[in-house]
Amino acid sequence: MIAGAGVAGCTGGPDGGSESASGGTTGTASSADTVKIGVLEDQSGNFALVGDPKHKASMLAIQEINNNGGIGGREIEPVTRDPQSDNQRYQELTRDFINEEDVDVLWAGYSSATREAIRPIINRNEQLYFYTTQYEGGVCDSTTFACGPTARQQLGSVLPYLREEFGPEIYTIAADYNFGQLSADWVRVLADENDAEVVGEEFIPLSESSFGSVINNIQDADPDFVMSMLVGANHTSFYEQKASAGLEVPIGTSTAMAQGYEHRRLDPPAMANIYAGVNYMEEVPTESNTGDGGFADRYYEKYPDAPYLNEEAETNYFTTYMYKQAVEQAGTIEQPEVIEALESGISLGTERAPEAPEGETIELDGATHHVDHHMWVLRADQEHNIEEITNRKIPEQFLSETVGCDLREEDEQTQYTPRDYFEEAE
Amino acid sequence: MGTTADSVRDRFGFLAGIRDRFEGPNTIGNSRPFWIGFAAVLAVLAVYPFLPFIGTGSQLSLFLVLAVLGLSLSLVWGYSGVLSFGQVVFFGFGAYTFGVVSINFPDATGITGAVVAGVLAGGLGAALMGYFMFYGGVRDVYVTIITLVSTMVMLTFMSQTAGSAWTIGEAALGGFNGMPDIPLLTLGIEGVFTFQFVFNEMQVWLPLFGWNEIDPFYYLSLVAVVGTYFGLRALVNSDFGRVMVAVREDEDRTRMFGYDVKRAKLLVFTLGGALAGLAGVLYAARNVYIDPTVFELWFATLPVVWVSVGGRKSLLGAVIATVSIEYFRLSIGGDWALVVLGALLLVVIVALPGGLVPWVDRQVRRLDVFGESGEAPDPGDAPDAAAEVSDS
Amino acid sequence: MVNGLNLAFQFLDSFAFIVLAAAGLAIIFGIMGVINLAHGEFILMGAYGTTLAVTKLGLPLPVAMGVGALVTAGFGLIVERTIISGFVPNWLGQRTIGRDLIDPLYDRLADSMVATFGLSLIMVQGARILFGNSIETVATPLGNVAYGEFSYSTYRVVLAGVSIAILVAVYYLFTRTDYGMRARATIQDEDTAKALGVDTERIYMTTFAVGSGLAGLTGALFAPVLSMQPTLGDQFLVEAFVAVVVGGPSVVLGTALSGGALGLVNATVTNLLDSTTFGRIGLLVVAILALRFLPEGITGFIERIRARRQEGE
Repeated sequence: MIAGAGVAGCTGGPDGGSESASGGTTGTASSADTVKIGVLEDQSGNFALVGDPKHKASMLAIQEINNNGGIGGREIEPVTRDPQSDNQRYQELTRDFINEEDVDVLWAGYSSATREAIRPIINRNEQLYFYTTQYEGGVCDSTTFACGPTARQQLGSVLPYLREEFGPEIYTIAADYNFGQLSADWVRVLADENDAEVVGEEFIPLSESSFGSVINNIQDADPDFVMSMLVGANHTSFYEQKASAGLEVPIGTSTAMAQGYEHRRLDPPAMANIYAGVNYMEEVPTESNTGDGGFADRYYEKYPDAPYLNEEAETNYFTTYMYKQAVEQAGTIEQPEVIEALESGISLGTERAPEAPEGETIELDGATHHVDHHMWVLRADQEHNIEEITNRKIPEQFLSETVGCDLREEDEQTQYTPRDYFEEAE
Repeated sequence: MGTTADSVRDRFGFLAGIRDRFEGPNTIGNSRPFWIGFAAVLAVLAVYPFLPFIGTGSQLSLFLVLAVLGLSLSLVWGYSGVLSFGQVVFFGFGAYTFGVVSINFPDATGITGAVVAGVLAGGLGAALMGYFMFYGGVRDVYVTIITLVSTMVMLTFMSQTAGSAWTIGEAALGGFNGMPDIPLLTLGIEGVFTFQFVFNEMQVWLPLFGWNEIDPFYYLSLVAVVGTYFGLRALVNSDFGRVMVAVREDEDRTRMFGYDVKRAKLLVFTLGGALAGLAGVLYAARNVYIDPTVFELWFATLPVVWVSVGGRKSLLGAVIATVSIEYFRLSIGGDWALVVLGALLLVVIVALPGGLVPWVDRQVRRLDVFGESGEAPDPGDAPDAAAEVSDS
Repeated sequence: MVNGLNLAFQFLDSFAFIVLAAAGLAIIFGIMGVINLAHGEFILMGAYGTTLAVTKLGLPLPVAMGVGALVTAGFGLIVERTIISGFVPNWLGQRTIGRDLIDPLYDRLADSMVATFGLSLIMVQGARILFGNSIETVATPLGNVAYGEFSYSTYRVVLAGVSIAILVAVYYLFTRTDYGMRARATIQDEDTAKALGVDTERIYMTTFAVGSGLAGLTGALFAPVLSMQPTLGDQFLVEAFVAVVVGGPSVVLGTALSGGALGLVNATVTNLLDSTTFGRIGLLVVAILALRFLPEGITGFIERIRARRQEGE
């Protein structure tokens, strides 16, 4: 929220802002022939592993659209820099993209911290912004479209299945920061909804790579299954250590395999019996994804040396197509009109459409700016082959049903958390 | 003093008196040409946003804020010999305190108070840590390590302060995701006079340049840096400044001469903490955001890098190096960017261990570029000395 | 819940981690006064060297570990000759313009930090450019040891034994070999040592190589349990620095004692409070307190007591 004293001076906007009256500008605004798309994704630093595929997928979508006549006849001009996983850099580059480069739309950031860091600048300039990483959920913001799957959608796909298969006792292990803690709250809510019980909860700092005590605690609690929301390079060690310690309890996760492709990097059977609840992995068995000439094929044709096509990359990809559809529907690249078009509800794909590799159709919910994702439960076996267990459409529930966020009616810039709405999350 | 200074004093007695406060053996640049050059640079900076191809000055304001942080380390390390990795701790204290207070009191008076609170928080934190270390007899490298470890503690602790439990009044600490919803920096007294500095681009007219859009925060940060620079210059050239330098050069000997070394170090460390706190306040105000990444080892090392490259014993060096290195870091891109940066740091520190600005100063003196015949030569500079790098 | 065996294994795990993280750094800092901020990247080099030796060259794991350590030692040698001592640039300088180009970094605390910081940037980004954002990992060998309903990875426990073996080896190196004797002479009084004919240049060179090799060995040993990314060195830095300084001037005994003390604090707090976060904070707070009350580290304190007692006799 932009609280505080009144704003003097001119407001920001796509073409307003900081061009100096006496000198030239450093970037050119998009003309009648081009659309400027800004993409700020980590290609080095801590998040390079998961951020680089996002960058690549955006470039793939842009290339495909340009090859097919662009957006309503306009060519897309991509504007990209490497923010190096550094939030201070993100802030400066975002300012630059909005004020100097005048981008018409912006994709930026892997972590929620990045989203928060640039939010004041986004809000100040009312910049159309797509945030495409899986995240804790709850962002109700007039110009932000958080299109990645939310914790409720991800956990909500895998937890009920595991409860049915293995039993009601759950042990939660999560990274000790906002996303992990909020995800753990959602596990409690979902446990309550599915007649299950959280028998233990443990939070591990992001910098920790020794999991001996965590493994012992799990063994002590002896749950029916574990829910893991571990994040980052250091936490990858958990899977190796658990395999080495012979811990065989089934593990449901929203974070592992789909983002950082642990099943390709670690030796089997480290990821055996791990169930990922995600909207997309490279192995998702839809025609538009793994079929001939499908998404995966097209990605590797452009990037033959890429190591993996991850969850967030797919979101970058289809949101680019959603933006295209919205601009063509609105008939203009002016951001307020495009946002209005997006809010009227955009839907992509049929079984054979290229833009929705995760399956069938996906809809952008205009009221909440989130996506009703096609959620999968995918399991890694002893050799780290991925098999499909189940899949279904899970709409965004928290903001639309529980909170009642409707950005078509009312502008706001808030993030809601489950603790304020669910007793069980306490 | 030679004839030049005398004539200056005759003509501008008042000004020369002022100059005396800011000149001395502890700072680089004690001559008229230096001050003329300095004034010229200052004039350029004053009209910086009006120059062609420059935006509102917003980007430079970031580097100026960081320069205040660099100056705080220069004071503590260059002039008192305390290599502190912990300046970022006080920077963070200042930033977070500003956030907490301003969120709870979001009107102009409250925000102004928050600025003061942030500076005090930085100073207080430094006073506590300094007392703990210096009065406990901790010295040299162990001071460095303690300050380093304290940043680790802050990082680990602050990263897990997500969730509604970690709220001070209305302000959520925010954990890893950072503190949201910091009010826009507006100084003054509510109802009497207020001015918003952040996100307040305004059109200003200057003779010769015409109308231009400026970011008022830029001027705020410029005043902060220049004010800090002059304040520190006066301090290090004062009597207390000489005590500081004596402590840096040889602590035991200084103590034997009867000076209370512990108190001196504590005072300097506290002042350094307050300055770092000020920089933190400005940082959080400018970005309307603060998160625990300011406590990371990487960010804690940056001030050491700036001050080392700029010249440990030079305030001007700290400012110039901070602005240059941060500008360079932001502008370079591509795969090889970080490699180039690393190589540059390596080469500079290995080839010019005293730092860039003292080296430039030595070259300028050696070449006697400004013909300062009246000035006494720098004692270390024999006319036939090869440019041996000293290892002080 | 505090289970005795659990606590014991977690302690050994923590001890091994701290000792191995600190080993190379302790030698380089203790003997040469150089703070190597690229220490994490030397560990990275050992880890990558080992992993690539297994996956690309098909070497068996123990051999691959040796390869990783040796490669890092070699690289350390190059770094020492070019940057730390400046031997190579000065040699070039003498040949071309007739004078030394740079000063050595020994005992220049801050400058060695900046230089090695620059080096670490180069190494991390270099690894990223050469090998991408990640490489395939090697499996953890040796299975697990089960006791009741619990089990612990055998390998992690074995690492504790390995870390002790390394400490013993380093002790042997410094007390029973020629090199060790000369190295200790150089630490104690460089000028006298030189006057007595010790080639201090060579000692520094060898020491840095040994320290780097040890860091590489740490990387090699941890390769089967870590995620292979260019930033993997970061997780060792804090424990390494803290352990080195809390340990004090005696390299072997200091590292062992601080590893023991800090490892114990970490394991106990984690177990008691059921929180890894507070286990870590506990370790850091104890380190700060230790430095405050034992400003010369544990072994410095021991030496002072010993000296005082000797005086008293």
